[in-house]
Amino acid sequence: MAPEAKPIASPIPVAWYPTLSVFALAIGLVLTASFFIYEATTSRKSRSLTKELITGAVASVFLGFGSLFLLLASGVYV
Amino acid sequence: MAGVVPRLLLVLLFSVITQFPLLARSSSLDLQITNAECRIDLTSQIVKVFLTLKVENTGTSPASELLLAFPPRQVDRLALVKAACTVGKKKKKTYVPLEVKPTELPDAPNDTKLFSILLLNPLKTSETATVEVLLILTHCLEPFPAEISQSESQLVYYHDSAIILSPHYIKQQTTYIKTPSTKVESYTRVEPTNHAGTQIIYGPYADRPPYSFSPIIVHSENNSPFAVVEELVREVEISHWGSLQITEHYKLAHAGAHHKGVFSRVEYQSRPSISGVSSFKHLLARLPPRVHSVYYRDEIGNISSSHLRGDSRKSELEIEPRYPLFGGWKATFVIGYGLPVEDFLFESPDGRRYLNFSFGCPVVETVVDDLTIKVVLPEGSQDPTAVAPFPVDQHLETKYSYLDVVGRTVVVLKKKNVVPEHSSPFQVYYKFNPIFMLAEPMMLTCVFFLLFMGCIAYLHVDLSLHK
Repeated sequence: MAPEAKPIASPIPVAWYPTLSVFALAIGLVLTASFFIYEATTSRKSRSLTKELITGAVASVFLGFGSLFLLLASGVYV
Repeated sequence: MAGVVPRLLLVLLFSVITQFPLLARSSSLDLQITNAECRIDLTSQIVKVFLTLKVENTGTSPASELLLAFPPRQVDRLALVKAACTVGKKKKKTYVPLEVKPTELPDAPNDTKLFSILLLNPLKTSETATVEVLLILTHCLEPFPAEISQSESQLVYYHDSAIILSPHYIKQQTTYIKTPSTKVESYTRVEPTNHAGTQIIYGPYADRPPYSFSPIIVHSENNSPFAVVEELVREVEISHWGSLQITEHYKLAHAGAHHKGVFSRVEYQSRPSISGVSSFKHLLARLPPRVHSVYYRDEIGNISSSHLRGDSRKSELEIEPRYPLFGGWKATFVIGYGLPVEDFLFESPDGRRYLNFSFGCPVVETVVDDLTIKVVLPEGSQDPTAVAPFPVDQHLETKYSYLDVVGRTVVVLKKKNVVPEHSSPFQVYYKFNPIFMLAEPMMLTCVFFLLFMGCIAYLHVDLSLHK
């Protein structure tokens, strides 16, 4: 074994996984709620596709990372 | 032009000189063993033979190879051969390991198998050296009687030779056999033989020619646990997100004298010193420190009779199978645990990552007939290679696990006849670009985004039948 062997660890400390998953999922669900509220309250003519797409994209990023951290925090090391 | 000719002559002279050592290589049978001491340890199911050989060069040219011979039956059972040379005097003795490899000799009798030990420096004429050899043999103790009842003690045969089998001429030799207890049923007498306590001494014998062999049988009592793992499959799954998950599938058997008759639990529990002396019910597994999520289960379900103790340097898992194991009985179970990845995964100076893990079975004092280690590398790993301190069979496989698209590469290492002395670290090298770690969250993000796109598309499309 080389004397200068550098141990490789996870890029994010393992102890942060549960906290990060809660916050990311919370923000993601709030954004999903705001997306559906926007859909429900505006009429078909005055909807803006850009706003819908942006809200959807940001919400899916947060939900994606949140569900990844949820899987890691519950012991399924993917 | 003038300088080329002397240069060519110099090159020619140099090439001729370098051929001389090859011409002068002598037959290694010039080496004579002046004193051989063989100590055989029969106290457990694994037979350990320690040979101390004082070698002298009686030929005319330097010799650098010492040969060891084994009868064909013993070679199949040979798990490990290690040789070392003692350097220095009494207090400052150090052992330098020597290379041992199998070899062939055209005039060896009757399928004797040979191993050659390469000495540190070639021995000059009438120079001496001391070589220490360790041999580990498995499945060498034959239970006789082959079937015993619950209240009988286990007796085993050990077949060997009073004269050490060797292609070299041995001037003087002695063999010491250590039995597990003072109860020795019988042993072959090859004069001079002496039996005192737990030691049987054969010798000293003087001036025996090469390849001389004198078979002996020692029939002694051996109640040490004959725990043999017939098949062990260890799977090590590496996750760069922080954890190493290990799953081990064991097929454990008691390889001693078979149990015949009835098993009486009452007699077993009321008289433990007479009943079931050769059986075992506890097994100890030595695991690395900082182990978490340990489970011990079999096909029926979880087995709760286990204890885990650990400190900062090691963890010890003591398991108790559902029933004590008597001769011929088997047990199958699974042990799994997790380890932090930073203790085992390192970055080598050339940029590759490597896993440094220990080969062998974590259960102490067991023989593994067939060991398979599968190292599952994360998705996106390239060029996997394995480096082990002894010869193993390797090949690659693919495994599909959580969030996998192309599958994970699995490096499979197989070895037969593994003993606790094989528990040394091995390395698996691979290349991994850290950007591939983002593949998993991106996959999840894409799935959620597709759901949102579906919603947007549904809300924008006009499906009404009338304007």
